[in-house]
Amino acid sequence: MAKHSKSSGRSAASTITLDPAVCRTRIETYWSNGKTRDALDLAKDFLKATGTAEAEGLVLDAYEAHTRALLAKRMYSEARNLASTVIERFRRARDRFTPLVRQAEILAAGDIQSLLAERDTATCSRRLELEAMLTREVRDPRAIAESETLREDDALRKAARTVCHLFGAVTAGPVPAEALAPLSSIPRHSPLAPWKLLIRAIAAYYRRDDASVLANVSAMPEDCGPAPLAAALGVLTADVAAASDRARTPEVNNLLHRVSGGQALRQLHATRLVRALAARDQARATLSLQELLPHLRLCSPSIRQTALTTVIHHWTALGLSPDPLLRALLRDNRDLDGLRFAALILERHGEWPDAVLAWDGYRAAAVRAGALPPAGPEMSRLLLHMTELFPSAPADILNEFDAESEEELQAKVRSGELPECMDPGHLLARARAAEPSRAVFRAMVDHYDQRDPKTAEAEAEAWRRAHPRDLEPILYLIRAAERRGAIQKALAALADAEAIDQVNPEVRRSRFRLLLVSAEQHIKDARPDLAERDLDRLAREPAADEGDTSAYLLVLRWAVERTRGNATAATEIEDGLTARTGNPGLAHLIMTAVATSFGLEEMVNRFQIPSQVQSVEALARAGALFRKLGRALFVAPEFAARVERDMSGVSTPHLHALCEVGLAIGRYSLTYAASGEGLARGTTLVHRFLLARGRALRMATTHREHERAERCFRAARELAGRARDLEAVREASVALKQIAAEADVFGFEGRFFGDGAPPTPEEIVRLVVEERSRRDVPPFAVSPARRRRRKRAKQQRLFDDFMASLEKDL
Amino acid sequence: VNPFSVLDVDETAGDDAVRAAYLEAVRRHPPDRDPEGFQRIRSAYDAIRDAERRLAHRLFGPPPLDRLEDLLALLSTERHYVGPDIWLDVLRRHRS
Repeated sequence: MAKHSKSSGRSAASTITLDPAVCRTRIETYWSNGKTRDALDLAKDFLKATGTAEAEGLVLDAYEAHTRALLAKRMYSEARNLASTVIERFRRARDRFTPLVRQAEILAAGDIQSLLAERDTATCSRRLELEAMLTREVRDPRAIAESETLREDDALRKAARTVCHLFGAVTAGPVPAEALAPLSSIPRHSPLAPWKLLIRAIAAYYRRDDASVLANVSAMPEDCGPAPLAAALGVLTADVAAASDRARTPEVNNLLHRVSGGQALRQLHATRLVRALAARDQARATLSLQELLPHLRLCSPSIRQTALTTVIHHWTALGLSPDPLLRALLRDNRDLDGLRFAALILERHGEWPDAVLAWDGYRAAAVRAGALPPAGPEMSRLLLHMTELFPSAPADILNEFDAESEEELQAKVRSGELPECMDPGHLLARARAAEPSRAVFRAMVDHYDQRDPKTAEAEAEAWRRAHPRDLEPILYLIRAAERRGAIQKALAALADAEAIDQVNPEVRRSRFRLLLVSAEQHIKDARPDLAERDLDRLAREPAADEGDTSAYLLVLRWAVERTRGNATAATEIEDGLTARTGNPGLAHLIMTAVATSFGLEEMVNRFQIPSQVQSVEALARAGALFRKLGRALFVAPEFAARVERDMSGVSTPHLHALCEVGLAIGRYSLTYAASGEGLARGTTLVHRFLLARGRALRMATTHREHERAERCFRAARELAGRARDLEAVREASVALKQIAAEADVFGFEGRFFGDGAPPTPEEIVRLVVEERSRRDVPPFAVSPARRRRRKRAKQQRLFDDFMASLEKDL
Repeated sequence: VNPFSVLDVDETAGDDAVRAAYLEAVRRHPPDRDPEGFQRIRSAYDAIRDAERRLAHRLFGPPPLDRLEDLLALLSTERHYVGPDIWLDVLRRHRS
């Protein structure tokens, strides 16, 4: 008898009842729950306790039930031994248990024919039993189809022939759906019913209808003869639930390998990985990846690289830790690809110092292995890529390495405290040595532009020598010379740029800018003829006719005449200026600003007094003009105050320009008022007005206004995104970062309010309504620009007369 | 998947050769008759159309697939007909 822990049975015995009816009920309960072993133990204890004939009958029933259960579990030798033991102990049970011994022997030998023979003459219930056994035992339908036990016209034999034919057909080639129609004649209770489902599943598998495969397979009984093939189909269709990880037999592996071309397990592990990632289950994803990697190594490099790049990308996007990914990839593959993927993982996770180190490790290993030439475009591109991983702000790099200056960083590299690859300048020099491409020179100039302008100019010169037809380095040299005030040198470089492409928009802009600077310089140097020549050349530029630029150039001509001492010509120009601008307020603002910059403010004559609307428009247009030309605009506080009082008559674009003027001249109350008026209009520029409002509020002195500023920036960013105004989105994002950084400094943990989620449309509407209804002007800090201007009392005096007349007019 | 294979062009080919291969491939798979084939060709061409992209492809590998589920299509198995005996072998072994 098989060894068995009798704990549960003994437990039952400890509470053994002497009532046969109760005992039988309990035994039947065990049977109905499939616990035939416990039922047998209970019956044996009952027999031991009572010793009655009734108890012996109960024990024999329990033995029979347990023997049949063992047969159903295919434990044939155990069933036979048990039945034999019962016959030895209970002689009167010989007739009852001998067929069970025989049945166990038939099943152990796989003797289907004996079962078929008995089925032919069995009673109805026995026939059902036999068919259930056949369902479990038939592992090759040919055993029935070719059975000599059954008559030629036996329904089961005919069905078996159909199954054999169609099984051969679906496993050998494509079969049309209608060819499977004869399977419908096989009834559900037939021993061949699982085979019917199997054939349908295999046919569905080959036509890639995996849902149908799983539907048919799941309908097959777990203990039926062809059940192992159902499990194999589960693996082939990557059905994670159906595919068991139990050790597979060589025959199963052979089937999987031959049918899938060796890819079945790869697909299964990939499916598990995708599902684990979809569930953000890092542990399961790691396990699946480890199982998938050996299979990926057998793929083509292209498929393998795409698969791993995709996994890395989505792993990172899900915010999972890079560590298990790194461990899995480096454990599986210590070759160059492993190093490359490790670098990509670190890079995508924003670990830039580690990513640079990993790329450097890959570079060295690839050169050693001969996979990467030590010079040439590939090496240059790789080194350039490494420099692109560094933060754009030099201070962030210095902070990372605890260096106070570039010199200290380079000293650390020289002393070996830091590897060479941690100096982006060094990497760029090597990239240039590998191949002096435009991209490398561009990166070189960008790198040194903030750190060492002289080196940046030298690199731009080297770029120009290496690529003589490139405009970009010449335009950089023009700007650099202009910054230093070396206008003649800039003009010489401009001539080179024009020789390459005279109509290039950037060249034309540079030309206009330089001629303007040159003209202004000549006026300051009291060289009116040269200034006039510059102004004549400027007049021929298309940009001279854009907006109010011609008015500005006209005022420069006025300055030339004043420098010459030609008062008549100057007065004529003054008279024409109002006509040119169509606004005496604008004429006065331009004239005042230009005159002040040349020290000619005493020579400005009085202009006609502008109306309120003209004053507002004048300030808006002057702000836009001076911003475009990059010149400082001086506005008397009284003039600005007058504009702030009433902006109702001005156009929306001019209102927006006023917002910018207020920020430019440091008069935040002007920006505050203009943005409030803009918000009240409810135009498509609401996001721009919110942005301006936020900027003004940011300059207020109270914490409460800073909170309002952050709300405005967040709403502006949201609305700008919807309006596809990407520039405004960027500006709002920068402003939010700045405000968060300021909050950090003051210990507000980077955010004044909210959870950082984008505001809802309802919140934005509430904010706009609230902001436009605010009449109070917050207290603003005095900007450095305004402080400087306060010292310029001389300029102020110039406006006194003008403003006095304005006030009189009001 | 490999853009060079899709366009049937050598990995050392220049811009002109890549473009010529692309146009030839489009002629064989016009968008109106084979939209999927055309999309595949277009994506391949976009990946290697100029020297910079070819260099990046060689150095940093192909771009990732947009959808994670597409990984399964990438690794989808071949399905070979092998006849009934290999299937039945599994059941014979199971009996023994």
